Amino acid sequence: MSIERGKINSQQLLFLIAGFVQGSILLIDFTVGITEHQTWMVILAGLAISAPVILSYVALAKRFPGMNLVQINDMVYGRFLGKAVSMYYIFFFVMTLSFNIRDVGELYVTFLMQDTPFIFFLVVFAATCAYAVTKGIEVLGRVSHLFVVTGLFVIISTFILLIDQMDFSNFLPLFELPFIRIFQGIHIVSIIPFGETVAFLMIMGRLNKTEHAVKRTFFGLSIGALSLLVVAVRNTAVLGRTQTIWTSPSFQSIRLINIGTVLTRMDFLIGIAQTVLIFFKCSLFLYVLVVAVSQLFGLKSYLPLVLPLAGIEVIVAATVFQSPVDHAMITQNAGIIYSVPLVFIFPPLSLLIAKIRGLPKFERGKET
Amino acid sequence: MIYLLLIYAFIIIINVPGLIKRKEWRELTAFSILYAIAFALSLMYVLDIPVPSPMKGLKHLIVDILGIEYPQG
Amino acid sequence: MIKKITSSIMIFILCFFMLFALTGCLGAREINDLEIVIGMGVDKDEDTGNILLTAQVVKKDTAGRTSGDASGGGDGKAFWNVSSTGDSIFDAVRQVTHKTGNRLFISHNQAVIFGNDIAQEGLQEYIDFFLRAHEMRPTALILVAEDRASDILDAKPETEKFPAMNIAKLVDTYGFTSHFYEVNMKDFASCLMSPTTAPLVPLVSIVQEKDCMDIYVSGMVAFKKGKMIGKLNHDEVRGLLWVLGKVKSGVLIVPSPDEQGKAVLEIVRVKSKVTPEIKDGSIVMHIKIKEESSLSEQTTAENLATDKAFEKIQEATAEVIRQEIMAAIDKSRELNADIFGFGEMLHKKYSSKWKTLKDNWDEIYPTIELDIDVETKIIKTDLLKKPVSQSEEEK
Repeated sequence: MSIERGKINSQQLLFLIAGFVQGSILLIDFTVGITEHQTWMVILAGLAISAPVILSYVALAKRFPGMNLVQINDMVYGRFLGKAVSMYYIFFFVMTLSFNIRDVGELYVTFLMQDTPFIFFLVVFAATCAYAVTKGIEVLGRVSHLFVVTGLFVIISTFILLIDQMDFSNFLPLFELPFIRIFQGIHIVSIIPFGETVAFLMIMGRLNKTEHAVKRTFFGLSIGALSLLVVAVRNTAVLGRTQTIWTSPSFQSIRLINIGTVLTRMDFLIGIAQTVLIFFKCSLFLYVLVVAVSQLFGLKSYLPLVLPLAGIEVIVAATVFQSPVDHAMITQNAGIIYSVPLVFIFPPLSLLIAKIRGLPKFERGKET
Repeated sequence: MIYLLLIYAFIIIINVPGLIKRKEWRELTAFSILYAIAFALSLMYVLDIPVPSPMKGLKHLIVDILGIEYPQG
Repeated sequence: MIKKITSSIMIFILCFFMLFALTGCLGAREINDLEIVIGMGVDKDEDTGNILLTAQVVKKDTAGRTSGDASGGGDGKAFWNVSSTGDSIFDAVRQVTHKTGNRLFISHNQAVIFGNDIAQEGLQEYIDFFLRAHEMRPTALILVAEDRASDILDAKPETEKFPAMNIAKLVDTYGFTSHFYEVNMKDFASCLMSPTTAPLVPLVSIVQEKDCMDIYVSGMVAFKKGKMIGKLNHDEVRGLLWVLGKVKSGVLIVPSPDEQGKAVLEIVRVKSKVTPEIKDGSIVMHIKIKEESSLSEQTTAENLATDKAFEKIQEATAEVIRQEIMAAIDKSRELNADIFGFGEMLHKKYSSKWKTLKDNWDEIYPTIELDIDVETKIIKTDLLKKPVSQSEEEK
């Protein structure tokens, strides 16, 4: 049974993944408190570690064409255990989506519009994401090009505008921080921007041709990782030691752009880019969540569930943490630990079990 | 407060008539469950009743009980 | 059909309500309600020991007119220095509303000037607000006043409408003399965060000439752990800038080879490289400076545009540069302040040894040896090939 009738091609998958990873730019700002000037290393290491795991997601999707994560879990682990695993995933989606929505709210309340009550941002943002989700993955796939290009434009132009303020000796000494911090940084980076792509296991079922999926996925991942890297390098080079004290280093480094007294006050650029990219990420996440829940309930279409789930998300986002400090502390410690099994263990395990059991076995006459 | 009622009324108006007309009972039940949860949570939020945060429980579980945590600072 | 109408009505009502929430109306501040601050000064209030905050606010009516017509009544000042006291900077900022009725809008703040007494007490307590406030931009300049910041903000400049903009312009154009350099909030914070570097901040003083008061930047002050410890004059600062490679342009005066006058050179380009080295337990800094200048003025009649003369002038120039650097080094040794950032350079190169060095930096710093190597070149002589003088061939 197909909950969703849309199809995406693998090139759109590339841009979907790239935009998704780019949506995590401000999350990198949080890790700067932990990894300081070695953030760029941590991003590269995170990419190296996650890439094989993510490719296992693609392999899993190829093995079970047209099926999404919940269906795959049912097949691999049997009906009861499979549903339990799917519920774990759904919990993860609910929590992570609420963190991301909250992030947007925090961005606006801290920097741009301080007096508007927090919940308004959440409601409007969630409403827009809900609207995007009702349009289906095909539409999201088609607009992904636009978002990725916007993101890249902002990232690269801010980098170029700040070149004269960069001091590359800020990257030395190279290996100063204690390894446990680097390890935590790698852990965070491999889970938050890269590991969250496990959500794509719900989307890859909609590929119409899976031939180039591996290459395209990897390429999309690289574009996203490159964006993160450029941002990390820009912030470290421009801000140097002060990187760790600002709430949002990206924001402050853009505030320093001061060329010829004309190109100043470019904060809005990052506001726009960040909003757009997080919107994209949240829409994808909401889509994934709604389809997963619908699949779990065995529904014919996911549309009716969009708004109630969005409503739940808004309230969770509004209440889950007390302040940005809380948010950072919890996600950097407990948050990444409960995500580890979902990102690193279950999908490769499913692949292994499927190989051993010779799945999928299709009965005659059963449609995918 | 009024926003809350408006929004939730709006949600019902968009979704329910279509579901009833097409006799999609399963969808209607799923929708109602989630809608009830959402409405209850929103009501709690608006009335200033503290909404329990799952992350607090999770953090308590992982950090205090299992003792897995990165060193701070 | 009815359903369609009701749902469109609901959508319309929803959008209408959202309009109120989203346009940031709640955070909107009309221009009339803003007190645009372009300069701030922090002093210690004499009576109570609290903070005296002076904010230079733009007067909206008079600021629009050009400085040509002084008509319109009043004293023609386009700004207003409003002051308030408080226990902390944020407190004082909010207390200003007792006098202005509007909140201060500090997004356009060009410079923050700290009074002498505050600087001596230590800036660590006062700097937090300027970094944390979301309206404050990290590009704002930081300065120290010779006496009281409020006096500096009072001095009305001749060509600019606002003293604060005037000061900002003064500091911005340091490149013409390279006798000081501009320090913005972010740079200062960066130096404060380093355990060894001593931050420097330009020093502004007032010179009274007949009736009018002129502001000028008389040098820089050095801080250690946030407290002001000493002052560097123009030459010492330039010595520092030679080492840091921040000299943009400036004037060097050397005696001319025939001892009859002076040769005046304009600095065109400077490249400097500092390499730290730890040799046998002692630290050596290799400083290499390459400078290019042009002959801009000479007071003798001798033709200096010859190879021999150039060589002599180049040597003399290198000597002057070396002296300026030594002056800076002597001053820094006298104050025992690492104004060059040698500590951080060592940190970047020898990070493992650095951990032990940085705790004893006060004792280690005076023992640092220097190896200065200056190379100078004269690359052009502006528009004259030969000076104006009676030529011997013509009779």
